Parts: sequence; structure tokens; C-alpha cells
Amino acid sequence: MDQTIIQAGLASAENAINKALQFDPATADKLLALSPKVLALNFENPSFCVYVRFLDGIQLLSHFEEQPDASLKGPVSAFINLARNDDKQAALMQSDIQIQGSSQLALSLADAMSQLEIDFEAMIAELTGPVAAHLIGKNLRNAVSWLKNTGDKLKQDSVEFVRDELQLAPHKLEGESSFADIQKIKMDTERLEARINRLKQSLSK
Amino acid sequence: MSESSNQGDQTTHFGYKTVNKEEKQAKVAEVFHSVAAKYDIMNDLMSFGVHRLWKRFTMEFTGVRKGDQVLDIAGGTGDLAMKFSDLVGPDGKVILADINDSMLKVGRDRLLDKGYSGNIEVVQANAESLPFADNSFNVITMAFGLRNVTNKDKALQEFNRVLKPGGRLLVLEFSKTKNPLLSKAYDLYSFSALPMMGKLITNDAESYRYLAESIRMHPDQETLKGMFEEAGFANCEYHNLTGGIVALHKGIKA
Repeated sequence: MDQTIIQAGLASAENAINKALQFDPATADKLLALSPKVLALNFENPSFCVYVRFLDGIQLLSHFEEQPDASLKGPVSAFINLARNDDKQAALMQSDIQIQGSSQLALSLADAMSQLEIDFEAMIAELTGPVAAHLIGKNLRNAVSWLKNTGDKLKQDSVEFVRDELQLAPHKLEGESSFADIQKIKMDTERLEARINRLKQSLSK
Repeated sequence: MSESSNQGDQTTHFGYKTVNKEEKQAKVAEVFHSVAAKYDIMNDLMSFGVHRLWKRFTMEFTGVRKGDQVLDIAGGTGDLAMKFSDLVGPDGKVILADINDSMLKVGRDRLLDKGYSGNIEVVQANAESLPFADNSFNVITMAFGLRNVTNKDKALQEFNRVLKPGGRLLVLEFSKTKNPLLSKAYDLYSFSALPMMGKLITNDAESYRYLAESIRMHPDQETLKGMFEEAGFANCEYHNLTGGIVALHKGIKA
């Protein structure tokens, strides 16, 4: 792909992120504390790399001349899951994303992003003034809260329907109990194998 | 079309015209005196803003760090110098240099308007005889300036002289596209639309006709890479942008 198109994409994303950070000064300060470090995001399927440089705001680069301070490598889907997760530090540690270099930098970024709270009302107020922004903001917050609750309820109901009505999946506790049994059998088998090997060795002597 | 081919005689190109070498510098100066005031707005109009993306790509290859010494030659209105100023910090130094005092005045005012001072110096300098000591800079950039230089080989040698060993030269310049369709569209645009836009915005069609002609007379990617190597640069490479309409050449001082 021509670099002009790549640069256009990176410049647009960078502007959008930096604009958003202006409305969350606490996160912007946390990111500024990471300056002048560079984090590489190595995406797989499709394969591409974006470097994030922390300055006053962030810079997105398609090429970096030196070794980045840290590198996160994994499939695009894993990065999307990470972005959607509320506790990004925990999600990063449990994901398929490999961390190379300074894991402290990756975790600091995850921590800052977990607490990202953009003041949309201030953003709207720049265009409409404070009174209209407050009304729009209030309605937006209500709508977001309703969507979140509805989404959570739908997820919970779907799980219960598949588990209790269709009986296609076991209950979490049943599953955990089965996994514990399987683990116990595995350990017993390994012990038995070791014992047989020891007996074979003593017989051969 | 290496510049060295012209060394035997005293003539060179000014767009499609052949002029005496001494004349070219004055004629180029006239062009930039004429366009300086509207240079930025014309750049945005002519390239549809894409020149910002080309410069952005150039910055990625500079590898500039805090404390570095950077020369932005033919830096005009200071686009790159401002970015360098942020990167080198208070311990570094950025020299914004241009041969044309009208362009420098616009650049200096723009820097001050945007609050840049302290680590930037503005210097009027000819790329063919730079007023700097040997081994002075970590990075030299030249964006859309080399084709206006009369003796390009001499300028490249000067860049090599003032760079520190391991320092890098980055030249962003119009080049040659190998895509026949793009080439035709580009010719049509640059010889018809550009002079017309120049006439409308700066009341100067001739300067923008020169711009289109000078691009066609500039060495292609491989020739310029060879000129880099001849000037003593190592690890020379280039990257085409927008189908080769523009190319970024990079060389490291051995």
C-alpha cells in the first residue's frame, strides 16, 4: 500500500486520539509521563506494525529508526478484545498478546487506557455552549447507560438460555468441578507412569 | 541526468530553459521572492494537503533524539523545523536555513507566531557553500529544495562535510512515476492547472510553470541515489510516495 494512504490513516487516528485526550487531562498527564518512550504494536492477520511515541500527546508512526522500548505482538482480534475490556492490565496479561521489552511501559499504557474518561460534555460545549452541552450530555449518558445495561442483560440471558434451556453447556461450577477431576486423573496417570518406569528400571537391573 | 554532466560548460537548466549557471540562482530567487507570502496556502492547494503527509513520512526516517543538532536546509516556512524543535528539546538545536530571505522572513514570523524559539536559529545559507563547521549535524533534511540548487553534486558534498559521521541526510523531492496513467494525469495537472492556480492565488503563472518544468528536469530516483553515493554517502536508499511523484532519499555519512 502506498505510504501516502498509510500516513493519511495514521494522521487521522493520531488527530482523533490527541483531540480526545484534550478532554481527559488525567489520562493525558499519565501518557506524558511515558515520554519519550516508544511502543510498537505488531498486528498479525493482517500483518502490520504501528509505533506509538509518547510526547505531548501521542504520535503514530509507520516506521521507527531505533529499537522501541516495548513491543506488543498478537492477532488483531486480541487487540480488539483488549480495547473492549474494562480492566486492560488484567486482560493484557491473560490475552494472546506477547510483550517484549519493557512490560512496565505496556502495563502503564494499559492502566492509563483503562481509566480513560473523555469529557464528552466539554467536547460538545466547544460547539454549542454549556447549557445545550449539559442537556445533550445528560441524554447521551442516559443512552450509553441504557445500552450498557441492555447489552449486559442480553449477554447474561443468552448464557442462561444456552445453559439452562438448551442444555448445550454446563454450569460454570459443574465445568470447574469436571476440570478439577480431569486434572486429578492427569496427575494420577503421570504418577502411575513414573512408578511403572521406576519398576521397569529396577527389574532391568 | 546527473548535475555533474553540466560541469564542463557554464550552463544549466532553469525549468526547460538553458541559462548560465550564475543566472539560475537569481532566477530561482525571483521565483521564491514572488511566491513566499502565499507559499503555504499554495502548497496546500497544489498538493491537496498531501505535502503534509510526505513531510510526516520524512520525519519518521530522521531518527532525531533529544539533544540532536539538526539542519533543515531550504526549510522555507519551517514545517519540518517546528517538528524537529519539539523532538530535540531544549538541549538540541535546529537550524532553519534557506537561500531566499523572503522565504526565511515568512518562516521566522511563522515560528514566532506559533511560539517556537530558544532551540531554533534562522540562517540565510546557500546549500552549495554552507556556513557551518565540519561534522556539525546529526541530521540534515531538504524538502522540495534540491531541484532548485544549481550544482546539486556540490550541495550533496557540502551536506556530507557538515554531517557528523553516522549522521543522516534526507532529501524529499519530486521524482518520476513509472505508472503511465498517473504520469499523463500528472502532466495534465501540472502544466495546465498549476500555472492557473498560481495566476489566481499569487498573480504569478510563470513561477508555477517553472515549478512544473523543474520537476521534469530533476534527476530520477536511481540517478539521485547514484549522486548520493558519489558524494560519499553510504546505505543509500529511496522510498517512493504517491506512486513515485515524490521520493524520499536517505544516505548515511560513512
